[in-house]
Amino acid sequence: MQNHPSYPVLSQLLAKYPATGGALFQVYNDLTLAQRWTDVEVLDLPACKRAAIKGQRPTTDTDRGPSICVVVPCSLSESISTSWLRAAFTSLDPLPSEIYVAITSEDTSTVYYKISQGIVKPPV
Amino acid sequence: MTQPILLRVSNFKAYVWDVDDINILRSHHHICGILTGTLPHLSSQNIFLGLPLQLMPEEAVLLVENGIAVLVDDPSAHHTPSPSVLKSWKEARLNDVRQQIALTEEKGSIEASNPDRAMSENAKRKRKEREERRARAKSDGVPCIPAEHSPSPRPTPENPSQTTVGETPDNTIAMPSGSYTVNIPASSSKLEWYAPRSHISLTIAREAGIWLYPSTLQERARCGVFRDLWEKGYYMGGGIKFGGEYLVYPGDPLRYHSHFVASVIEAPDAALRPMEIVAHGRLGTGTKKAHLLCEWNDETQVVSYLSVEWAGFG
Repeated sequence: MQNHPSYPVLSQLLAKYPATGGALFQVYNDLTLAQRWTDVEVLDLPACKRAAIKGQRPTTDTDRGPSICVVVPCSLSESISTSWLRAAFTSLDPLPSEIYVAITSEDTSTVYYKISQGIVKPPV
Repeated sequence: MTQPILLRVSNFKAYVWDVDDINILRSHHHICGILTGTLPHLSSQNIFLGLPLQLMPEEAVLLVENGIAVLVDDPSAHHTPSPSVLKSWKEARLNDVRQQIALTEEKGSIEASNPDRAMSENAKRKRKEREERRARAKSDGVPCIPAEHSPSPRPTPENPSQTTVGETPDNTIAMPSGSYTVNIPASSSKLEWYAPRSHISLTIAREAGIWLYPSTLQERARCGVFRDLWEKGYYMGGGIKFGGEYLVYPGDPLRYHSHFVASVIEAPDAALRPMEIVAHGRLGTGTKKAHLLCEWNDETQVVSYLSVEWAGFG
């Protein structure tokens, strides 16, 4: 991992949260290299005992404008809770309307789910 | 002040047997329930069901807590009828049967005197042609070949008003012979020997031993979430078809599709597996809904919501 180009950006937070290091590494690479996000930076979320990733999604035709999103990585094998999800929201400043949970599996598949606080209708 | 609706409890389930009550529950209180009644003789009934309406326990709890309904122990509300009450019930039934038979006779005699009345012009013309053909064949000595659509012979009306003295248990009332329908009312409320005792609160019902819900944290969480969604004006239905506890509709389910599938999370720190987010989120998005994680906090008695959708990328 140390020889990987992503390592310098992540090294501090990988050291701080070794348990979630694998998920962080996988999601960071997926976002920067496969999903082609730009302006990507890592954040420290002590309330969730891990790092999160903030960046700009590539805009699609249906988007109204560029969107800055926050992604919280997590592995399939972990056990989380609704209070954990809400802590992710309150740790972020400014308070986002939604966050993305990136769920990683051992075969390097990463799936992204959008979590919003409150009762938010799906788009038509 | 309107009378509270009687929820008839049998084996810890709340049923509504009166159509007017079902109407009020749906239109005034946006509680839908599900119809569970079937007909005795038909198999595979699962599309079109009738009375009674069965309520989810959370629905019954909310209605009683809000004073809209009271719980009634249905089995003990059916008392043994006194001999005189039973006699008048039997007489009423006998009168109904006699009326039915009289109407059948009347209809039969009208049709006998005017056989063409029920047939269409086309049918009358075809029948006439058939009869002419038969008459010609007969006069030609050709054996009569039955036509394809010969009308079935009308059943000769018996004289149904002859009463037969049958073996009745008390030997006082004899039933007439002839065919008639026996009507069994769905609701017991008009029966003279039905005397329900209302339990006006859940505590009272629990002490009487007829109602237990909610007893566990999971059940309290469901009641709390259901109530919160109800107070926000939503209609709720069962969620099994979409992998959740409830389907949450913005209006009457007969008019709207649901926007949400809701799961009840019994505590803020209850273990949640990421796979559940994947499963709920993908199924919700795949069916044009969002998944609602409804977290119950038993200490603060507050519900917090998180909406889950597939991100659309990745």
